[in-house]
Amino acid sequence: MIEIKNLSKTYADGTQALKDVSFTVEDGQFLVVIGLSGSGKSTLLRCINRLVEPTEGQIIWNGTDIAAAEIADLRKIRRSFGMIFQHFNLVKRSTVLTNVMAGRLGYVSTAKSIFHRFPKGDRDMAAAAIERLGLTDQTNKLARELSGGQQQRVGIARALMQEPQVILADEPVASLDPVLAHTILGYLEQLNQEDGMTVICSLHYLDLIQRYASHVIGLRDGRIVWQGDSAAIQTMTDKEFKDIYGEEAERVSAGRSATEADRG
Amino acid sequence: MAERTLQSRIEVKTKFSPPVAGVASFVLPGLGQMIVGQVYRGILLLLAFGSGLGIYVWRIAEIGRREVGFGAKFGKAIDLEPMFFILSLVVLVIVWLLIAYDAYRCVQQGKRGGSGVFLSILAMFFVLGWQISQIDVVRMVREAPDALPPLSKVLWPWKAAIEYDIEKELGDARILATEEGDIPVPNVPLADEPYLIATPTQGELSTQDPDTGELIPGTILTLVGGNFRPNIETAIWWKDPNGNEFQIRQEGQYVSAVTDDQGAFRIEVIMPYRLTPPSAVGPLYHDVFALQTREIGRPKASEALRLTVERMIETIFMGMMATFFGIILSIPVSFLAARNIMGGSRITMGIYFLTRTIMNIIRSIEPLIWALIAVVWVGLGPFAGIVALTIHSIAALTKLYSEAIEGIDPGPIEAVRATGANTLQTIMYGVIPQMISPFISFSIYRWDINVRMSTIIGLVGGGGIGFLLVQYIRLLDYRSAGIAVWFIAVTVAILDYVSAEIRARLI
Ligand SMILES: Nc1ncnc2c1ncn2[C@@H]1O[C@H](COP(=O)(O)OP(=O)(O)OP(=O)(O)O)[C@@H](O)[C@H]1O
Ligand SMILES: [Mg+2]
Repeated sequence: MIEIKNLSKTYADGTQALKDVSFTVEDGQFLVVIGLSGSGKSTLLRCINRLVEPTEGQIIWNGTDIAAAEIADLRKIRRSFGMIFQHFNLVKRSTVLTNVMAGRLGYVSTAKSIFHRFPKGDRDMAAAAIERLGLTDQTNKLARELSGGQQQRVGIARALMQEPQVILADEPVASLDPVLAHTILGYLEQLNQEDGMTVICSLHYLDLIQRYASHVIGLRDGRIVWQGDSAAIQTMTDKEFKDIYGEEAERVSAGRSATEADRG
Repeated sequence: MAERTLQSRIEVKTKFSPPVAGVASFVLPGLGQMIVGQVYRGILLLLAFGSGLGIYVWRIAEIGRREVGFGAKFGKAIDLEPMFFILSLVVLVIVWLLIAYDAYRCVQQGKRGGSGVFLSILAMFFVLGWQISQIDVVRMVREAPDALPPLSKVLWPWKAAIEYDIEKELGDARILATEEGDIPVPNVPLADEPYLIATPTQGELSTQDPDTGELIPGTILTLVGGNFRPNIETAIWWKDPNGNEFQIRQEGQYVSAVTDDQGAFRIEVIMPYRLTPPSAVGPLYHDVFALQTREIGRPKASEALRLTVERMIETIFMGMMATFFGIILSIPVSFLAARNIMGGSRITMGIYFLTRTIMNIIRSIEPLIWALIAVVWVGLGPFAGIVALTIHSIAALTKLYSEAIEGIDPGPIEAVRATGANTLQTIMYGVIPQMISPFISFSIYRWDINVRMSTIIGLVGGGGIGFLLVQYIRLLDYRSAGIAVWFIAVTVAILDYVSAEIRARLI
């Protein structure tokens, strides 16, 4: 269970990206964060594993406050949060295997990892993760040679190497076409339902949200303006939707849309 | 027509009529444009015309610098370089008139004038530039034949690249050239060694008539040789009492005999002209000898070739060492010159700008100039070249590296950090893979440049093959210079190809 209490983030330039955000994620939830561009979704996800330092508030996870954790403990905490990115964030000039192995860095000693000496167990694990995502043929290709969908699968395999309890996915399908979106989200759903991982994911398309989310929170200008479970999403009213996305927004599906065009 | 339509119509609101503007520009080029509102154009035209006119007058004064008074200088200039004088004058007048017409048109058509006036200005500077840079095509063509022999030697220098061991067959006879002294006993035929018999064994050297300067022939010697190798040209040499050896010439030709089937020959030679020092006392014995030379054994690399190869290797290593030091030293500096690293605070930005500025200054100074400084600093030789190239490489590589650092994508770094990796691991897995290929690619590129530069850095004493090349050129030894040039060309071409290949593979 992750309990976020009064979380605020003000960037160095004075931008208040999160304002007093509080919510709870139960284990096994598929929580989708929605909101306009700039509403603070990325900031929220990055605060959870401290890629962004929260300014105020607590992130209680299994009894410890991540926000207050020492740097040394942070390494262990981060291992439990696999992260997936909109632009995949693979090292383009490294191979698929190296990118996937990087997911294991939190577990191996610095000296060994520098010389790419991973234990046998880790290497088997990588092979298994690569196979699970259907990338075995791509193992020794450079990441940049892969298609977008394949790259995102490498991103997932990398996250799997962390043996995570939580997956943080920041718009994992925003740079992919709708068909691929379902493939990728399908994998996340599988991790959520079969492997019991908690998923916290930001998404833009209402049909995807309705299809995959078990819970939703809506952000607007750094505040939570809407919260509900999957039943509530199915019956979400236009009014509620506009509260989150603003007046000009329309309910859209995973085609081209006003909100998509809005996104930076 | 297309050009016309592209020109934007501009609003020329003015109380001046077209002729007024034209006349104004006629009086002072550019004035017309200025008073109708085209201030920049006016100033530009004025400056162009003014500097053209100024340069023209300066050149005239320069050509007639020995004359006093302006009229005399002009006269001299017309005399010496009539083409330049007249052509420049015509072009200047055309420019002047076109500027006036441009002002007229500006008002009349409400358009910025065409580009014709600028073309005429270009023509003006071309004519002036031709004279200033002393272009002399006529001479170039006329004296082209003089350039051919050295050029052909440089282009095909391989005769100087190999040499052979020489086997000599030698027969020697002693001659007394003074009245006093014992007349040498004539040689007798030897059994199986080459021999030379001269008769007589005393005689007079050729002398010079002190009044007419004509050569008075000396005694004629009959030379009989035997036991030489058959059917081979045999040169006749002379050795004076001081030990100077020279091949005898008669009527401008070297004297030589060809041996018969038995290896014998017979020839008559006049005792050569030698200045006998007045201080010489006592008998003076000279030697005449017959010499057969033959190239034997396998061809060997000549000294020029050997030196060239040695220097070429030295050069390649100079370039390599300079690149090596350049890389080592520029890596830390390049971080200081990367905006994304130094963007944190005012102080770091200050360091960033300072580093960039210093590096830009160093880079703008040619390695050849650095070599001049380095020669003063560490003395002649390859080390000076290395110092010069290293300094320049640091600046050049810093620029390239810092750009590579600035081009790093923060995304993967963030992703690696998110896995729980520590700083060192993040650098190893997130940063270095992104930088490594641009770094290698730039480094190889630099090595390529450095070797190329080190071939000429020797010109100013920085060691390497350039040093050898200038020496050969100064000695007018065009063949040896040609060998050096060939080696430079081939090495540079190979390096160019290899570095391009490697870089293409990395990108
Ligand atoms: N490093 C930063 N420094 C300063 N301001 C930032 C920084 N990162 C984000 N912000 C600001 O914080 C606010 C929230 O940004 P955030 O990236 O969290 O939004 P988002 O909801 O993820 O948007 P998007 O849908 O476009 O990804 C925005 O106003 C953004 O400009
Ligand atoms: Mg975002």
